[in-house]
Amino acid sequence: MTSPTATLAQEPAAPRPATPPQKRKRSGIGRVSPTFYWMVLPAVILFFVLHTVPVLNGIFFSLTNYAGYGEWDFTGLQNYVNLFKDDQVLNAYLFTFGFAIVATVAVNVISLAIALGLNAKIKFRTGLRGIFFIPNILSILVIGYVFNYLFSNSLPAIAKNLGITALSTSILADPDLAWVGIVILAVWQAAAFNIIIYLAGLQTIPGELYEAASLDGARRWRKFSSITFPLIGAFFTINMVLSLKNFLQVFDHIIALTNGGPGTSTQSVSLLIYRGGFQGGEYAYQTANAVIFLIVIVLISVIQLRVLQRREATF
Amino acid sequence: MVNDPLDQVRTPDRSARPHRRRRALAALCTAALGLGGLAACSPDDGDTVTLNFFQFKPEAVAQFDEIIAGFEAENPDIEVVQNHVPNADTALRTLLVKDKVPDVMTLNANGTFGELSRAGVFEDMSDVPAMDTVADAPIEIVTDLGQFEDEVSGVPFALAASSIIYNKTIFAEHGIEVPTTWDELIAAVEALEAAGVQPFYGTIKDQWTVLPAFNNLGAALQPEGFYDDLRAEGDDVGPDSAVSFTQDYREAAEKLKTLFSSMQPDFASRDYNAGNAAFADGASAMYLQGTYAIAPILANNPDLDLGTFPYPSSEDAEENLLVTGVDVVLAIGKGTPHQAEAEKFVEYMMRPENIAAYGEAQSTFSPLKDAEPSTNPYLAGLNDFVAEGRITGYIDHQIPPAIPLQPLLQQFIIDGDTDRFLTGLDSEWRKVASRSSQR
Repeated sequence: MTSPTATLAQEPAAPRPATPPQKRKRSGIGRVSPTFYWMVLPAVILFFVLHTVPVLNGIFFSLTNYAGYGEWDFTGLQNYVNLFKDDQVLNAYLFTFGFAIVATVAVNVISLAIALGLNAKIKFRTGLRGIFFIPNILSILVIGYVFNYLFSNSLPAIAKNLGITALSTSILADPDLAWVGIVILAVWQAAAFNIIIYLAGLQTIPGELYEAASLDGARRWRKFSSITFPLIGAFFTINMVLSLKNFLQVFDHIIALTNGGPGTSTQSVSLLIYRGGFQGGEYAYQTANAVIFLIVIVLISVIQLRVLQRREATF
Repeated sequence: MVNDPLDQVRTPDRSARPHRRRRALAALCTAALGLGGLAACSPDDGDTVTLNFFQFKPEAVAQFDEIIAGFEAENPDIEVVQNHVPNADTALRTLLVKDKVPDVMTLNANGTFGELSRAGVFEDMSDVPAMDTVADAPIEIVTDLGQFEDEVSGVPFALAASSIIYNKTIFAEHGIEVPTTWDELIAAVEALEAAGVQPFYGTIKDQWTVLPAFNNLGAALQPEGFYDDLRAEGDDVGPDSAVSFTQDYREAAEKLKTLFSSMQPDFASRDYNAGNAAFADGASAMYLQGTYAIAPILANNPDLDLGTFPYPSSEDAEENLLVTGVDVVLAIGKGTPHQAEAEKFVEYMMRPENIAAYGEAQSTFSPLKDAEPSTNPYLAGLNDFVAEGRITGYIDHQIPPAIPLQPLLQQFIIDGDTDRFLTGLDSEWRKVASRSSQR
């Protein structure tokens, strides 16, 4: 977000060409052609109008008692004070973080394993790569309803026939197990994208390194832990940061599977903001919640980047 | 269009062609409104007015299409475009945030409607001629929800009742009479269970499906003026206040738990649509749903012999009440540029024959003063209560929408923890009251 804004600030500072001879002089080596600024400018304007303005607008309304329509007054930081007194908000944060951490770890372990397999010289490699990418192009809501059907109808029917009583009712209807269903859907869908990133990373590792390691007598695990994993560090970082951020904002999965239920046991922060703000008529209050959530996500992403980048190896 | 050479050649077509164009334009307008792209969008030729008609009931689209066709035939200069969305309350709120109030709306007279009325987003309907034909009780239900000054924000169009739907064939097979007291209901449930028949079919995967039973038990068993007192307590509500859910809703909560303990084993993973289909197939003897469920049940099995009876919530048959609500209210958006046309359309919809046709198709009661008792056989068990005026409103409309009532109810049905449910309601009431008192 900082770099486009910075270019916007620099842009007017660059002196305008007044006459053709001057222009020829400036387009010499070492000068940045204004064309690049013109290429960036439309995106900056779009980003500012469609993203930054609404964010500022939201922050403004979080200081009021606006219901989304009608009249409103300033209430200062009252919404923020109330947020910290609301156990519903606390529970939503606890659920969201628990879910995001489990899903991030699971999706990265699984997709790294699959990527290693798809990077090896196996049969039907190209076809399999295509198949493993399919979940990413499907809408979460659509496959969410498919999973909903599987969890509510197919899985209990199979479990009943096999005599497994623990699974003979839908896991989505069990307040203690519903989150597992959401994790399964989230991991199934998100793994596709992470596999692609890991595959790209694995292909940057030169084959000679493995040959040299083999000559030194390294086994498979040693090759993975000392060569493969350190060398895809940058890809691991980006996958961890993006998955955690995406899972913290979980919304579609929950709408399709449990709608926050049973009770409020799977109510994520995004779902609470949507429900309270648009259905409950507490627009300003939940906007304050959204502002806090934005800050939390930015902080976590920055910390995560710092910590993980320090561990990356370069060659 | 004037420059169009075809106009001079093919004069006979003139009457038809502009109309088709207007239709296309109207469709474009609707699309634009839906996207929130254009601010002003009205036909420029001035002889046709397009009304944007926001219709909240997906199952009644066909009925309103018929009404619209009749209206357009009478008023060729007005075109009505029906928009229906899932989750209408949320959709309307988002339209309001964008300052795009539809011209005419059908809405459910619920808590959200009351809140929006108080905010003054609807036109005052008290002077609309059709208002004089409506009985006082339904108007009162609408104004009780919330008013802007002393305006009436909507015209009641259809009334629904919340009842127990039962399978007459199963009742007759096992010699069970329609229960009129709580004890009789429990005896009926036990007799059915003994005979191996499923008493109720539960669908609490959809959180709201607990609400109808809660509304009925709560309305019948709560103290007089409970919600007025509760509002007066504001953020003091708790176990020590004069009124609270903890003290006054225990009986209702326990009875709710009892009813839901006689559901089929997978009641937590079934949804409303599955429930309608299952009940239509005779999966249970009774179904805890309002009269609005009759139409979808019959769609699954038109031959089902079903009936309705009011909740026998109390030990005393005389104390039972029928919970009714204004299922459909007609409202006009404040500041619409087509005020006169919108009123004309509302007038047309309120004609007795239209209300009767709608009531027949959707199993609703008429809100009109001189309405005949409903001839709908499925509503026969409720007619006496309506005629005697033993009716009351939905209590969930008294509870602010910011309180997560439906999740709390669903949680309660699953874990059966009455104390947790009631203290949860008290605490949510307290929090919401303290937040809104700062307004």
